[in-house]
Amino acid sequence: MKRRAFLQGAVGLTVTFAAVASGCRAIPVIPKRPAPSAEDALGWLRHHDGKYELFVPRAEMGQQIGIALRRIAAVELGVSADRIRLRAPSSQDIERVKATVGSDSVKDFALPLAQACATLRDALAEGRTEGEIRVVERPLKQLLSMRADATANLLVVRDDLLAIVSGAPLFAADMRLPGMVYGRVLRAPVSPELGSRPVDWNDAAARRVVGFVAVVQEHNLRHANSVGLGILASTPGALDRIEQALSVRWHVDGKFEPREIDDAIDIDRHLAGGDLRHAVRDDDLDATGAWSIDLRFDVPLAAHGGIEPRAALAHFTATPTGRPRLQLFTGTQDLFYVRDVLARTLALDADDVSVQACRLGGGFGARTLALVEVEAALLARAIDRPVKLVWTRAQEFRQGFHRPPSSHRVRARIVEGRIVDWWHALVSSHILFTPAAMPLWIQRLVDIAGDQGVARGAALPYDVPRQRIAFDAVRLPVHGGPWRGLGTAPNAFVVESAIDACAVVAGSDALQFRLAMTKDVRLTAVLRGVADDAGWNAQRSEQPPSGPRRGRGLACGVYKGGSRVAVVADVEVSASGDARVVTLWCAHDCGLVVDPDGVRAQIEGCLVWCVGMVLVEALPLQTSGIAATGFAESPVPRISSLPRIEVRLLSSNATPTGAGESAMTAGAAAIANALFDATGYRASRLPARPEELARSDH
Amino acid sequence: MRLFVNNVWHEITAPWLDESLLWVLREALGLTGCKYGCGQGQCGACTVLVDDEPQRACLLPAQAVAGRRITTIEGLSLNGSLNPVQQAWIDESVPQCGFCQAGQIVAATALLQRTAQPDAAEIDAALEGHLCRCGTQPRVRRAIERAAVMFQRGTSS
Ligand code: FES
Ligand code: FES
Repeated sequence: MKRRAFLQGAVGLTVTFAAVASGCRAIPVIPKRPAPSAEDALGWLRHHDGKYELFVPRAEMGQQIGIALRRIAAVELGVSADRIRLRAPSSQDIERVKATVGSDSVKDFALPLAQACATLRDALAEGRTEGEIRVVERPLKQLLSMRADATANLLVVRDDLLAIVSGAPLFAADMRLPGMVYGRVLRAPVSPELGSRPVDWNDAAARRVVGFVAVVQEHNLRHANSVGLGILASTPGALDRIEQALSVRWHVDGKFEPREIDDAIDIDRHLAGGDLRHAVRDDDLDATGAWSIDLRFDVPLAAHGGIEPRAALAHFTATPTGRPRLQLFTGTQDLFYVRDVLARTLALDADDVSVQACRLGGGFGARTLALVEVEAALLARAIDRPVKLVWTRAQEFRQGFHRPPSSHRVRARIVEGRIVDWWHALVSSHILFTPAAMPLWIQRLVDIAGDQGVARGAALPYDVPRQRIAFDAVRLPVHGGPWRGLGTAPNAFVVESAIDACAVVAGSDALQFRLAMTKDVRLTAVLRGVADDAGWNAQRSEQPPSGPRRGRGLACGVYKGGSRVAVVADVEVSASGDARVVTLWCAHDCGLVVDPDGVRAQIEGCLVWCVGMVLVEALPLQTSGIAATGFAESPVPRISSLPRIEVRLLSSNATPTGAGESAMTAGAAAIANALFDATGYRASRLPARPEELARSDH
Repeated sequence: MRLFVNNVWHEITAPWLDESLLWVLREALGLTGCKYGCGQGQCGACTVLVDDEPQRACLLPAQAVAGRRITTIEGLSLNGSLNPVQQAWIDESVPQCGFCQAGQIVAATALLQRTAQPDAAEIDAALEGHLCRCGTQPRVRRAIERAAVMFQRGTSS
């Protein structure tokens, strides 16, 4: 593969990819995750006549990563930011890049981009506008953009804001092509884990619907074990009417009840049956003494709830030599994985598949697989016209994948005010090895190593001498998968709730208890910072004699060994148990901050997620599948339930680490600990239930 | 059927006559600013103004609003300049992914046309039905307060 850039008036990169072997669908496409090099980064840049283009190698889904990378490019190239036009790439514009996951956009992409820009700047300064240039990597301190505050103070006009507030077309579903028709793949209303297929349908009735175009039967319209039936119409509304008229009868193999899912992950059942298979830490614990705390926590299945449903527009043309060529617009977190899956499924050369990145209406881990894209491409091939396919909200819930439920037990022993033994066992469903992307036999093979997505966030951010942190994942009949921060939010909620319980047992202040257990300077700094902002050490006022009970809680965490976060929550709980988060304070250190406003926005977003996680979110189940068809059954937080949010960024020269998921380590537990402070009720099953909060009082 | 959208008359013909206002706007007329988020009236992403009232376009048959005055997000900045709500949205850097934002801006514009100086409860009430999964609500509040000031100045000067 070429990794060179040629200056020919334009700096660019011609990329040729080897064809992916087709015809062996049994083995799923494995996402490739190369970290970008500076040579790759040179291929993201184009230059002509003093104007620059930057193909943003990361999916834009609200984290404003293009803005952050443009800041770096502007400083390093020594030009004003408005001379650099941001462009969303297609899979043919740039070298393969890894998926936009795990909050590492700035961490992994900033440095190669800075190196590439420095190289380009020097080449242009020497008057070189032709020939090949290669990146000469220079020491970090020679890179202007890597100096503290070099980029953060740069004023960058966010032209994406103008496009959004004026309603410009940015998302996949906004794309239109001449001759386009609308498609949908109907599936049995059960989990795609169960085998299902259409048995019969009323073709004649469907044909009478105004706007009917076709019914498509194609064995590849398969997702996991669900085989679907395609429909095409000349208007989107006609799809609903065709679906009704068809009244498809489905064959479904087997069934399951919601209770079976609770049982399958029940931590106490697992522990009664022996040890869990995987460990984050496996020290020998003191097996004799009594535990100071012994708590059980259960976190439910929950949806991503992005407001944009998945959507793709697919279109076939022909190559000059007459081979079919697929062009597809979609909002995905993994452009090249989608391309590879399309090439494999449709038996096309990867070269003949162009996937154009569109802005995502929320990613949150939901857009890491190829789902809607395959459906759109297959229908477009079947009808030989452009097909736009947008999942309905019900399809989002029923055919997507979700945050898997998890079940936890935590035991700790406290001696002289400090935790000496820590034991956390948890069972969930797979996250990185999601059943939505791999059959059981492959999952079994890869799971020998343990699914690190399940374990993320379970490591203690404290110095505790003896720790056992064990985990396991079971395949459930509903599909779990990546969700904002993977296992972080559930695990950190459990860990920091348990730490709070330990502080209560130890009779310590929650802040002092934590400070005493860490020598991490940056974690200490965010803890002290948030305590200052919230006035943690001020004299606490008595509960008011009437009206809602007030409470205050604290939690902190370290995300993926990098960013440090601490949160204080103030809550109010009414007599009937209705809880309201009044204020959230957050202190955050993600090292060098490239785009302060973008970092703040990400933190705010995470904290809003945490409010939802503790107070409202759960995806209801019914026999054989998801019960929700809309936001009414799977709620997300609404404006009136959201607190004032105060964020303090502790900027440092440490290498930039993530901000898109980091606050998920602390928000939920801070709120839950505040609820405990107000009511004496420790939320052990999410979401916290008003009837429990009403009953409890200390 | 004729629709009056953003001060322009459009002749709507088959096969679009039985479609919702949302699909006619987005797919027949190419006004893709209003979004399909749920199609069930539960998210607010499809909000447009019908005679100055915020309405969920996904639930409205286009037939039902033929001849009425329809304003979409594209129509808020008709003469090339943003309305105060749009400007305040930029000033406060409200959008994250942006998908819910057109609906929120339209709803906020309607609120300020109705109530020049809304208090916090009135802001929450007007935006309660607008879901934003990215968590922009704290900034939405700030932007509406800012826009209210701008509207005030605009009308008093
Ligand atoms: S799309 Fe109309 S309310 Fe959600
Ligand atoms: S900005 Fe993403 S849903 Fe509101």
